[in-house]
Amino acid sequence: MLRFSSLVRFVLTVLPIAVGLLWLNPSLVMASDGQEHVPGALRLEMPAGKKECVKPTEWMRRNHMDFLKHNRDMAVREGVRVTSDSLKNCTTCHTSREKFCDRCHTYAGVAPNCFECHHYPK
Amino acid sequence: MIDEFAAIEGRSQGYWKLIAGMGLLLLLGAAAFIYIEVNGHGVTGMNNSVVWGLPHIFAISLLVMASGSLNLGSMSTIFAVKQFKQFGRFSAFLAIVLLAGGLTVLTLDLGRPDRMLLIMLHMNFRSMFTWNVFLYSGFTVLCFLYLWSMFQFPQFTKAAGSAAFAWRFVLTTGTGSIFGVIHAREVFHSAITAPTFVAVSLTSGTAMSILLLLASFRFTERELDRRLLFALRNALIFFLLLVLYLLIVEKFTKFYSPAFYDVESWILTGSYAWLYWGGVVLLGVLGPLAVLFNSNLGNQIGGIAFASGMVVLGLFCFVGFVLIAGQAYPMNMFPGYEAASIFQDGVEGSYAPTLVEFMLGLGGIGVSGLLYLLGIRFFRLLPKKATAPEGWDVAWHP
Amino acid sequence: MTMATIERRAVLGLGGALAAGVTLAPGITLLAAPAERTEASAGRRWAMLIDSTQCTNSCTACTTACRKENNVPLFGEPSRDVHWIRKVELRDKDQRRPSVQVPVLCNHCENPPCVHVCPTEASFIRKDGIVLVDMHRCIGCRYCIIACPYKARSLVYHETRRTDESNPNVPIRSKGVVEKCTFCVHRLDDGQEPACVEACKKEGKGAMLFGDLNDPRSEIAKRVHTVATKTIRPDLGLKPRVYYQGL
Repeated sequence: MLRFSSLVRFVLTVLPIAVGLLWLNPSLVMASDGQEHVPGALRLEMPAGKKECVKPTEWMRRNHMDFLKHNRDMAVREGVRVTSDSLKNCTTCHTSREKFCDRCHTYAGVAPNCFECHHYPK
Repeated sequence: MIDEFAAIEGRSQGYWKLIAGMGLLLLLGAAAFIYIEVNGHGVTGMNNSVVWGLPHIFAISLLVMASGSLNLGSMSTIFAVKQFKQFGRFSAFLAIVLLAGGLTVLTLDLGRPDRMLLIMLHMNFRSMFTWNVFLYSGFTVLCFLYLWSMFQFPQFTKAAGSAAFAWRFVLTTGTGSIFGVIHAREVFHSAITAPTFVAVSLTSGTAMSILLLLASFRFTERELDRRLLFALRNALIFFLLLVLYLLIVEKFTKFYSPAFYDVESWILTGSYAWLYWGGVVLLGVLGPLAVLFNSNLGNQIGGIAFASGMVVLGLFCFVGFVLIAGQAYPMNMFPGYEAASIFQDGVEGSYAPTLVEFMLGLGGIGVSGLLYLLGIRFFRLLPKKATAPEGWDVAWHP
Repeated sequence: MTMATIERRAVLGLGGALAAGVTLAPGITLLAAPAERTEASAGRRWAMLIDSTQCTNSCTACTTACRKENNVPLFGEPSRDVHWIRKVELRDKDQRRPSVQVPVLCNHCENPPCVHVCPTEASFIRKDGIVLVDMHRCIGCRYCIIACPYKARSLVYHETRRTDESNPNVPIRSKGVVEKCTFCVHRLDDGQEPACVEACKKEGKGAMLFGDLNDPRSEIAKRVHTVATKTIRPDLGLKPRVYYQGL
C-alpha cells in the first residue's frame, strides 16, 4: 500500500532524472546541427538602414514573444489594434523571414506557428 | 465470506493472448490518432452536418458504462445487499478503467488535441463540457477513494461509496445534458434525455459487469454462485423496464404535440428508423427483456450473458442514434418553408464512418481492456470465490 | 510578464489619446481614416438588415466577395466546404408563392449558444456585440457546431494553402479549428463595411444594410425601428442581429 517511505523513494528517483535532463538541456541539443558552436550571439541579418525596433533591441530579444502574444489576444478578443505593434508592422523592416525569424528560432529550438496561417510578405 | 481476495495469476497463455489483443487495439487506436492528426479530420467520415461520429459513439458509450459499472459496489455499500460486497473492488476499479478508455477517445478526437489543456486555463462555466471535466475527474477521484477505503479503511467505505454513488448520477446527467440542453437539435433537446442516459448507464453498466464477471471467473476457474447472477439478472430487468418507461414517456409527450410530428415521425420512420427500432428498442430493451423473462433462458447463465451482450450493443446503438440521427436531422431554420442551398440546408446530413474512426474507437476499448487485465493481475480485486450464504435466494425467478 | 504589463500601460496611454480622436464623431466613425490605435467600442451593436425583396435570385455577389475577402476555404467536397455566408432558397410548402433566395450568415446573437457551450472561451462576444472564434484558442471539439441553430459554423477538415489570389490581410486556416463569419471584423476596425455588404451595394441591388444599432442616427437603426423585420428562429430567444425584411 501507499506508504510515506515509497513516496520519499519516488521523489528521490525522479529528482536525479530531472536534474540530469536539465543538465543535458534538450533545447540546445535539439538546436544543434552537429557542429561545434562558438559561444556567443547568433548573427542575424538586421534591417538595413534602421537603427532601432519599436522597442529597444535587447528588450525585444527577450520579450517579443510575450509582446506579440499579448497584442494578439488584445487584437482578437478586445479589438484593440495598434498598427506599430502588429505582426504586420514587423514585416515592414524585417523583410526576410528566413534570415531573421527562422534562423534564430531554429537556433533556439522553438517552433512558433504564426506563419502557418498568417501572411509574411514575400 | 469476503475475507479472501486474490489477484489472478496471469501466467496462462490465454491471459497473454488477451493482453496482446487489447494491446493491438490500443496500437490501432494510436495509429489512427496519429493518422487523423497528420491528415486532418478530412480522413474521417465526419462533415459539416455530422461533426461528431464513431469515435464519440465509442467514447460516450464507455463513459456511460463507466458510471453504470459502479452499480455492484453501490448495491452493497448503499443498499446493504451484503452478497455484493465481494464485487465492490471490481466495480469501483471497472468504473475508473472504462472512464479512462472513454476519455482517451474523446480527447484524442479533438481537432487540436495539442491545445487540450486550454480547458484548464480558460474555463467557461456555462459549457457542459467544462462541467464534465470536473465531473469526470471528480468521479475518478471518488472511485479511487472508494476503492482505497475498501482495501484499507473499511470504516470510510460507506462515506466514500455514498459520495461516488451521488456523483455518478450527476456525472451521467452531465453526459446526457451535453445533448439534452441543446435547443437547436430537435431530436435530442429534451429534459428527459439526461435521465434516459442515467437509466441506460444503469442497464449497460450492470450488463458489462455481468459479462466481465462471468469471463473473469471462468478463465481463472474460480467459483461464481449462480444465485448472485440471478440477483444481477433481476436488477437488470428492473433497469431495462426503467429505460423502456422513459422511452415511452418521451415518445408519448412528443407525439401529443403537433409541433413535434415532423421530427418524431422522422425518428420512427425516417432514414435512421432502423437504428431506433432495431438497435435502441429491440437490441437494447425488448430483446434482452424477452430473454430474461423467458423461464428457460432467463434461468441459464448463457441466456443471461446473451441478454447482457445485447444490452451493451444496445447502448452503443442508443448513443449512436442520439448522436448521428440528432445531427443528421436538418435544422428547421424557416418553419413553414422548404429550404435548399449549397450548404445542405433542409437536407438530411449523411455520415459514412471510415475505418480510421473505427480504429480510434477500438483504441478506447483497448485502453479499458488493458487496464482491466493489468488491474486484476496486480491488485486483489476479485474474490477467490464468489458465494452466497446457505438458504439465501433471490426474490423472483422467471 | 511584468514587463509586458508595463508596456501595455504605455501602449494604452498612447493609444487612448488617439482613440479619443476617433470616437469624437459618432455615426460616421465607420468611415473614419485608419488610426494608429483603434479599439472595439462597448457602446456599439453591429447589426445587419437584409431586404429579401431586393435580393436577386441569381446574384451571388455577397458570397463571392466573402470568400475572396476572408480566404474561406473550398475543398471540393460539398459536405465539407466552408461557407460563411450562403444563399438559401426558400419555397413555401404550399407552393403558392414563388421561391425567394436570401443570404444566411452568422446571426451574431445576443445570447449565442455557441459561446455558451464553448469549453475554452474560444468563442466569445466582442465588446461591440460581434461573436468571434479565437482560432488561437479553439481546441476543435465542435460542440459549437452542434449548438448553433443557423449552421453558421464549420470545422476546417483539410490543410489550407495560401495562393496568389489569397487576401494577405486575412490569415488562412489551421486544420482542426472551427470558423465562421466575423462580420469582417478586420475591415470594421479599419473603418470599412463588411465585404458582402460592399459587394451587394456595388454589384447587387443594395439588399444588405450594415451599421450600429445603438446609434439612433444610423440608417439601420431607423429601418429596424420603422419597417417590419424578422429574425430567424426568434422562438429560440437568441436575439439575432441579422434582420430580414420582406420575408
